[in-house]
Amino acid sequence: MMDNILLVARREIRQILTMKSFWLTLLILPVALALGPILGDTLDDSEPARVVVVDRSGGAAAAALEARFADDDDRDILRSLSRYVQRYGLESADPGAPWTQHDRWYTAADIAAFREGGGIESAIERLEAVRPEGVPEFEPDAREYEFQAPPPELAAQEGEGFAEAARELFDSEAKDAPEVIVLVGENYPEDPRIGLYAANQARSSFVTALQDTLTGDLRTRLLAERGLSAEDAAAIQAAAPAIEVTTPPPGDGAREALLVRSIVPLALAYILMMSLMLSGSWMLQGSVEERSNKLLESLLACIRPEELMYGKLLGGLSVGLLMIAVWAGCAGIAAYATQGVIADMIRPALEPVSAPGIILAILYFFIAGYILISAIFVAIGAMVDSMSEAQGYLMPVLLAILLPITFLLQAILAGKEGLLVQVLTWVPLWTPFAVLARLGMGIETWVLVGTGILLAAAIALELIFLGRLFRASLLATGQKPSTKRLIERFRAQKQ
Amino acid sequence: MAILEVSNLVKRFGDVLAVDDLSFSVAPGEIFGFLGGNGAGKTTTLRMVLDIIRPTSGSIIVLGGTPDRRKAGSIGFLPEERGLYSGMSAIETIVYFGRLKGMSASDARSRGMELLERFDLAVRAKSDIGDMSKGMAQKVQLATSLVNDPELLMLDEPFSGLDPVNQGLLENEILRASERGAAVIFSTHVMQHAERLCDRLLLLRKGRKRFEGTLEEARAQLPASLTVISRGDPRSIPGVAFAHRNGEAQEIWQEWRVELEPGVAPERVLEHCTANGIGLRRWDERHASLHDIFVELVGGEGVEQ
Repeated sequence: MMDNILLVARREIRQILTMKSFWLTLLILPVALALGPILGDTLDDSEPARVVVVDRSGGAAAAALEARFADDDDRDILRSLSRYVQRYGLESADPGAPWTQHDRWYTAADIAAFREGGGIESAIERLEAVRPEGVPEFEPDAREYEFQAPPPELAAQEGEGFAEAARELFDSEAKDAPEVIVLVGENYPEDPRIGLYAANQARSSFVTALQDTLTGDLRTRLLAERGLSAEDAAAIQAAAPAIEVTTPPPGDGAREALLVRSIVPLALAYILMMSLMLSGSWMLQGSVEERSNKLLESLLACIRPEELMYGKLLGGLSVGLLMIAVWAGCAGIAAYATQGVIADMIRPALEPVSAPGIILAILYFFIAGYILISAIFVAIGAMVDSMSEAQGYLMPVLLAILLPITFLLQAILAGKEGLLVQVLTWVPLWTPFAVLARLGMGIETWVLVGTGILLAAAIALELIFLGRLFRASLLATGQKPSTKRLIERFRAQKQ
Repeated sequence: MAILEVSNLVKRFGDVLAVDDLSFSVAPGEIFGFLGGNGAGKTTTLRMVLDIIRPTSGSIIVLGGTPDRRKAGSIGFLPEERGLYSGMSAIETIVYFGRLKGMSASDARSRGMELLERFDLAVRAKSDIGDMSKGMAQKVQLATSLVNDPELLMLDEPFSGLDPVNQGLLENEILRASERGAAVIFSTHVMQHAERLCDRLLLLRKGRKRFEGTLEEARAQLPASLTVISRGDPRSIPGVAFAHRNGEAQEIWQEWRVELEPGVAPERVLEHCTANGIGLRRWDERHASLHDIFVELVGGEGVEQ
């Protein structure tokens, strides 16, 4: 019996391997993964927004604005540096520097100290001195805003002419054309109106920063007018609480940790779903070809229908596992080629799935899921005479399988383990996907064992009933399988 | 000992009685014709012998035991509805079926090449079935049924769709299999092939056996007809069922169309005429053809000369 199953499986594999669609599909994922970061980089708008401030009140407001945005940029850099240092334990680079501290919201004093210490260039130099092999280099984010000197054709305009000149600048195709123009009037602060012209919808972060800065400037001036010295006014304006920040180290935060731990399990569930849909459709094509080419009777004279069905399932499973092995190999090559970068990301992600018991569970649920769903495809293939007829059965089956899985994956990404997740875990049709996806969140051993037993029983029942349907349908060409006839075939022991 | 022995076989599909109390046997080296119109139960019977479907009642003893796929190695089968994997080459297809019948890959390959050479297809051995003509593909399919040198060769309507050249090739293969001792069963509704090839025949009608025996025995089922020119009236001769005058009445020598009673041999009537001094100037015997027998026993539907 086994010989025949292996022969059928081998033929199925060879047939699928000769399909162009197989090779295209096999290559799509690695190519997409390789192109993803490249396209991501290309699509990522890392250019800072260009800002022009026309300050006709003497230049103090423009200077305050530039200083504020420079502070914000440096604060962001300090924060990134601090996360980087904390993740890789590089505090020894400069133990006294603010960017090796992880417990505060950076104040103006911290920013000043950072600048005095040589800024980002000096920080990177120090980090490089202690950075071990395998730890990626620190790459600072691009600054959000770049301030430009006002173009003369704009600065010379007044009123409507200014708005007109601003529009012309926005419409020009020059690479360094401004995207935001701020006009501070001649009578500022007596006349506190500020003009904001933007090429597109102005970013709310910019407007907030603009308002904060100019409000602070206005208040400082008003305090000075009311008799306070400039220093006192500035001190009042700069007064702020020292916020101590306690956050988990990178990768350890509950939400972040959950996401990292769920990457591999979710990917497994997704890959199971994807490879099943693909190899399932190939198996279906093979079954339909056997029926439409009328070669079933020749086959059934040599082998039992069950051997044919198991051979097809084994062939489909082998192709699916082959695809996954190739994809895993590509991921391994990518991890090796990029050295520590991906490996560093993958290590915590692999943590929840690296225990031997969990590896066994993954293999079990993966293979069981494959058999469970593939058997449905093979049975559909045995009932229909053409691919168009197969579509009629395929669509409801695919929807029934895929829709709940989509909800399931979203729920798990959101860290939820509510009723839907529990139900899907215990319904055998979705058990493999639910269990694989939940491995990252942690799943109780009794649930793992219970669902595993239930799944095995469901597969055994499925193979018995779909086996009957397969056997009874094989030679029934040209018969439209009505519901009554389907039930008869499910019940038929042997014709 | 018979290679195939079928006893009181019955097969029902719901309310439809497809095979009704059928019994027959086929010996080694025998070519056995399975004749019947469409829906007579030929294919159903062959499928039961192959264990593709199970009988409702009755027994089948094939190659000394009950039908079982483990006997596939000794059976060759060519179904009525033919088809192969379009993406596989001719030789790979033969090897695949050979291996499903338990042969080693090398044996199946060498035997497959031998058959393809005999069928003038050796140069197309590596061509995909999808690239071949229908006739070529049918020869490849025939090769898949012969690759294992079967002891029992079952061919379901093997001549349908074949051109005259390939029909001749198939007839040769049937005779060759019979000569090496294989029992050959083929179903057909083309009487010419059955007349030429079969040692014994079985006629089926609506699942029930109407006749089993040799061609001569089949012919004996229908009364012989004669054309005679005699000097006396043959209607009085014992064994003559009836006689019609051909043409106008003559004074002395009259031509008659004579039909004998069933089972009466024309020689006995001739003997009677000689013994009783009935003058004869012409004596033409016309035996019933298999077509006539088929039409008489089975009905005219689905029969080809």
